[in-house]
Amino acid sequence: MKIGKRNRRVAALLCSSALALATASTGLIGASAGASTSTPGVTATSITIGASVPLSGIAASYASVSAAANAVFKYIDKLGGINGRKIKYIRLDDCYGLAAYGLGCTAGASTTPLSNNQELLAQDHVFATVGSLGTAAEMSVMSYLRQNNVPQLFVNSGSVEWNQPSSFPELFGYQTSYVAEGKIFAKYIKANFPTDTIGFIGQNDDFGATGLEGLKDGGITIPSADNLTYNAADAISGSTSDITADVSTLAQNKVPVVVLDAVPGFTYGILATAHALGYSPQWIISSVGSDPLSVNTPLEAGAVTLSYFPSTTDNADPWIPWLRKVLEEDPADFPKFNSSSVMSFNELYGAGYALAFAETLRAEGKNVTRGGFVKALTSMTLATPAITPLRFTGGNHQGMQGGAIATVNSNGTLAPTSVTVTKSVFTTTPFAGSSINSSNWIIAPIPSWLK
Amino acid sequence: MKWFRSIVAQERTTARLTGVLAVTILTLAITFVLPPVADSQLAGGAAISIVILGLSWLVGWSGQISLGNSGFMAVGAYATGIWAVHHGSTPLIFTFFLATVIGAISGLIIAIPSTRLSGPYLAGMTLAFSAAISPIAQNYTSVTGGEGGLFFNTLTTPHWFLGLFSGQNATINANAQWTADLAVVVAGVAFFFMANLFHSHTGRAMRLVRDNDVAAELVGINLPRTRTVAFVVSAAFAGLGGSVYVLINATVNPSAFPLTLSITLLTLMVLGGIGTLSGAVIGGIIYAFSTNLISHLNSLTGINPTSNLGANMQGIIFGVLLILTMLFAPHGIAGLGRRLRFFVKSVRRVASVSTGE
Repeated sequence: MKIGKRNRRVAALLCSSALALATASTGLIGASAGASTSTPGVTATSITIGASVPLSGIAASYASVSAAANAVFKYIDKLGGINGRKIKYIRLDDCYGLAAYGLGCTAGASTTPLSNNQELLAQDHVFATVGSLGTAAEMSVMSYLRQNNVPQLFVNSGSVEWNQPSSFPELFGYQTSYVAEGKIFAKYIKANFPTDTIGFIGQNDDFGATGLEGLKDGGITIPSADNLTYNAADAISGSTSDITADVSTLAQNKVPVVVLDAVPGFTYGILATAHALGYSPQWIISSVGSDPLSVNTPLEAGAVTLSYFPSTTDNADPWIPWLRKVLEEDPADFPKFNSSSVMSFNELYGAGYALAFAETLRAEGKNVTRGGFVKALTSMTLATPAITPLRFTGGNHQGMQGGAIATVNSNGTLAPTSVTVTKSVFTTTPFAGSSINSSNWIIAPIPSWLK
Repeated sequence: MKWFRSIVAQERTTARLTGVLAVTILTLAITFVLPPVADSQLAGGAAISIVILGLSWLVGWSGQISLGNSGFMAVGAYATGIWAVHHGSTPLIFTFFLATVIGAISGLIIAIPSTRLSGPYLAGMTLAFSAAISPIAQNYTSVTGGEGGLFFNTLTTPHWFLGLFSGQNATINANAQWTADLAVVVAGVAFFFMANLFHSHTGRAMRLVRDNDVAAELVGINLPRTRTVAFVVSAAFAGLGGSVYVLINATVNPSAFPLTLSITLLTLMVLGGIGTLSGAVIGGIIYAFSTNLISHLNSLTGINPTSNLGANMQGIIFGVLLILTMLFAPHGIAGLGRRLRFFVKSVRRVASVSTGE
């Protein structure tokens, strides 16, 4: 075998590139936490935090979550900030991690949750990410944020991935886990529909899978013929075949009770398809996909969901008028919001994590470090609009642990705008076999410095 | 080594090597100047340019059309993802090699029927392939992680590279730039191979098959074999590009490889210039910085980025650019450069003729 001169050159190039690449591997970066002189993102007068969230595309309805958080931060800034520091909240659009689809996404095709987080760290030097959204999106940046010791706070997702304090000490969840939600739904179903067949349509990812796990753990058996999934990505490219097929199957089997683990856009699609087929079971919809203003159809009236917040129209709850005032004072994020506007679950949700961040920062005192923040967060009582406490400990980073059963109110021929929340709150852990506790609502008083 | 000789150019290898090396080194130098965010965008652009180059070869040199390259990209990406999850500490060169080979195999499978099809039928078949990839990935959850996908660690920055950086954000900046540099080096190697392939036996045979398949057969070129090779090479490049793409993003999921990505790839290829190295580079650059372009245009025109119009800006810009390219520069932006040079030359010639009179 004679290798010519030309071939030798090619071989040489191959070898040299091989050498260059061989030095790299896909392992973890060595611990590189040098003693830094100051905390990134923190100056004497400001603290910069960021989030990668969907502001356009399929999950754009969630944009008001981080907008409400921003409104709360602006309100706090007007009161003088936290220990003299104004909070600067940078929100980058990741199109729910689907920017590659192009259409409907403001973010360019090359935008990913990771590229947004790189921008937040490298360009904006954020102290932490706060309220970034999406299970898959946030899982893709976990290791990157961990490597750089950046706290990943209040991830907007009910995955149990956020609770790994030993390997991800700076990672914190926020909402009730999908497993806990499933278990509470199971309890409700056993009490109200003890003999009925139960159907299930779930998003074909961690969301649907762990929601189903919770139902099963709660003692609900779903016949395999009625246990269905849909793929979120397919529907974006215009195909709704999954949903149509799923709903037709359940309609044919005349399943009287159906649990949905879907995001609002798909909840709408499922309800509309069922209506077209003349099929109207009792819907039990995950809190993730039940906000009536986001789903926006009269077909949702009467559906059962889980709520960890009071009804947005419950003016007896001190947080509701407070948040309305906060939103009215932020015309940049809520341009059309006035005293007659209707508030959604999203705004309470966003305000909740913004308050949790601000209160922790306040408790940490004048001298802010990432380590000090985590320590403060795991040892304090947080006052948020939630009716079930948002509480973290050294060994539990999940966030809220439960919620109350709620029913979507009817609004005649118009889309519902509110829910009725029952007065007893159920709490449980995502761990298999753990019991469900019941208690009354816990309404945290508004801290005096926020009034 | 007959097969090897058939894919290596017969002449001017040094010139091509110098050219590719020069562009690669220049790009590497640029990554030192660019801010870290632009570096990470550039990394994505480098990955996509490898895929565009593979597609450019298929369309521009063999005359076959493919809407399946996002599918080949997904194959390489999943090969990388599955490997990275289980064997995270193997050298990257092996991961890239694996993704390229598995991409090539998927190309071979698609190529077998492709030799019997042409034009819209071929496009339809490759379209079906790229449409099928996502559902396959979604349903084999135990291997592919389902719709959520697989997650692995971001690329390690070697210590010697980290040493070039100092200050508070050293690790973050070094990581962004290392990622970009790695992607650029891989792209450089890929481009060098393609540059050789363009001017090899195979490349010349490919052009003849494209221009006149009867003549090609008459001079003894095996048509099905040549067309198959075109597909396999294209898929191998897509597999490699997909591999780089997912290593940059530390995750692989079905949503990253929609059908529309194939169309985007075709658009970028046409914008850059079909069948040229520089066209693929230009396509990669457009892809990398499209976000900046869109937000710049939105702020220039005062369009609300979350409005219906703003949210569809990318489609609008690509569409308008594509129409303009087809009308005024059918050989893409790369071809425009050549046309300009030709134009200037001919003006000079006319000028010299008229002064001579």
